[in-house]
Amino acid sequence: MARYGMALNYKNCINCRACESACKEENGVLLLKDHYRIWVGVKEAEGQFPNISIASQTYHPSQCQHCENAPCQQVCPTNATYYSKDGMVMVDPTKCILCTYCINACPYDARYVDNRTNTVDKCTFCSDTRLANGETTTACQATCPTKVRVFGDLDDPNSEISVLLANKEYRQVKEHLGTKPKLFYIL
Amino acid sequence: MQTISLKKLFYFEKTPLNLGIAIVTVALLAAFMAGAVAYILHGHHVYNVTRQHPWGLLIAMYVFFVVSSTGLCIISSIGHVFGIPEFQQIGKRAIAGAIITISSGFAVIGLEIGHPMTMLIYNVLTPGLTSAIWWMGTLYGLYLTFICLEFFFLAIKVNHTFSKIFGICGLLVGLAAHSNLGAVFGFLISRPSANGVFYPVYFILSAMITGCYLVFLMYGFRYKMNFPEKVSVMLVKLSKILGMLLAVLIFFEAWKILTALYGDMPERAATILHAIKHPNFWFGELILGMLIPFAIILVSNAKAIKATIYASITGMVGIFFMRYDLVHDTLLYPMTTLKRAEYQVAPSFVEYFPSAAEFAIGFGGIGLALFMYYLADKVFNLDETESAHH
Repeated sequence: MARYGMALNYKNCINCRACESACKEENGVLLLKDHYRIWVGVKEAEGQFPNISIASQTYHPSQCQHCENAPCQQVCPTNATYYSKDGMVMVDPTKCILCTYCINACPYDARYVDNRTNTVDKCTFCSDTRLANGETTTACQATCPTKVRVFGDLDDPNSEISVLLANKEYRQVKEHLGTKPKLFYIL
Repeated sequence: MQTISLKKLFYFEKTPLNLGIAIVTVALLAAFMAGAVAYILHGHHVYNVTRQHPWGLLIAMYVFFVVSSTGLCIISSIGHVFGIPEFQQIGKRAIAGAIITISSGFAVIGLEIGHPMTMLIYNVLTPGLTSAIWWMGTLYGLYLTFICLEFFFLAIKVNHTFSKIFGICGLLVGLAAHSNLGAVFGFLISRPSANGVFYPVYFILSAMITGCYLVFLMYGFRYKMNFPEKVSVMLVKLSKILGMLLAVLIFFEAWKILTALYGDMPERAATILHAIKHPNFWFGELILGMLIPFAIILVSNAKAIKATIYASITGMVGIFFMRYDLVHDTLLYPMTTLKRAEYQVAPSFVEYFPSAAEFAIGFGGIGLALFMYYLADKVFNLDETESAHH
C-alpha cells in the first residue's frame, strides 16, 4: 500500500490561488466563506517602511496535513474519521454525527462543515475524484503554475517526493504536537 | 407517588414569587420551542458558531446542566450513600434534580449535535474508544439509567437497599462520566490552554459546588426561608462544606492561571491572559461565582443561611460564566496564524457571540428544568418520609 504525502516548495508560491479554485472545482466544494479544503496563507513582509524586506514575504499553501497520529481521528466518537489503506485521513459521512469535536481537535484548522451532507469535510488528496480513476496527481498539484506541490508515495524510495525529501531540508507545521503531519515544507 | 388530576397539577398558590417563576418558566419554554423550530428549519445556520469557533453557548449550557446533575448526585450521596444522618433528607429532592438537569442537558445537546440518531447507531456499531466524547456520552447514558432506578427505589417503590446500590453505581459512573467531560477539553492537544489533567479534576470539584448552590436554592424555595430546625442544621453543615470547596476552587484556579502564564508558553499564556482580563472571568466567574458566596460563608461562620441562599443565585450565574468561558476561552486562539488573503486582516483572537436561537435554546433549557422540577414536586413527595429510614 502507498503512504501518500505532499511536499511543498512554498518559496515558489506566487499566491495565484489557482490551487484553491482547482480544489473547489474538482471536489465540488461550495463557494461559501467557511468552505475551503485548501488555502494559501500570507506571511507579510517584515520591517518598517522604507526598510522592508521583500524577501521575507512568503506564501504558505496549507490544507489537511493527513497526520499519521491525527488528533481528529483520536477524538471522533463514532470512528467516522479513519485512516484509509493509503494512510490518508478520511471522513465517512454516514457515520459523522456532526459533534464538531474533530474541528476543535485539529491544530491546522483543516476541517469545516459541508452544507450538502451536513457533516465534516476536508482535503482527501482527491482520492475519490482523481486517485480512484487511476490518476496520480491531485487537482491542486496539477494546476499549480510554479510547481509548488509534489504529491506521491512516501514509502516508494524512487517516487519524486521521496527523492525530494531525501535531498532537501524541510519542516513540518506544529511538529511539537506529535501529530506527524505528512505535508513537508521544503526549505 | 401521589394520585393527581390535571387540575391539581397546574394549581399553585398565587404568591408574587410563584407567579413570577411561573411566567419565567413559560417564557423560557416558549423560547426553547421557538429556538428548536428555528434549528429544525435552518440547521446550524441559526447558530453563530463558525469553522474557527465550532462550539458555542449550547455546548456551554449542556456542560452547565450535566455539571449541575453530577453535583446534585454527589451532594445527595453524602447522606444517601455515605449515611451521614443530617443529609439523608436531601436524597429524593437532589436525585430528582439530578435527573431533571441531565435531561435538560440532553435536550439542549440534542439540538446542537447534527445527527443525534446517527450518534445512537454508530456509538454502538463503531465506538471510538479513544474519544472522550464517546466515553462521556456512553457513561452519562448509564448514569441516567442508574439515577432513575435510584429515584424509583427512593420515591416510588421504596427499597432502601436497592436505592443505595443504584446510588453507589450512579455516583461512581457519574464521576467517571463527568471527569470524561473534563477530558473532552483536556484531551485537546491543539489547545494548550485546555490540554492537561486540570479539567477532569476541576469538573468534579466545580460540580460539587454547583450541587451545593442548587440544594440551597431548592430548599430556600421549598421552605420560603422559614426552615424547620432539622433543615437549618443540615444547611449550616452544607454551607461549611461549600465554603471549604470554594476555598479549594479558588486555590486551584489561582494555580491553573499561574501555571498557564508562567514561562510565557506560546498560545497558552496569551489565551489565559486574554481570558482573565475579560469581565466574564473577573466579574462573572470570580466575584459572582466564588467570592460573594465565599465571603458570606466566611464572615457569618456558615450560619447566615438566608444570605447564602441569595448568594447561591449569584453563584449559579457565576457557574454559567465558568461554563461559557470554558468553551469560549478554549477556542479563542486562532489555529491558523497567517492571513489567507490580501484583503483580510491578520488573524486575532476569535470572536464569538451567541445568536438569538442559541440564547433561546440554551436558556430555554432552564425553563425545561424548572417545568420538570415543578411537575416532580407535584407528582412525588420529595421531602423525607419516615419509610425512607427503613
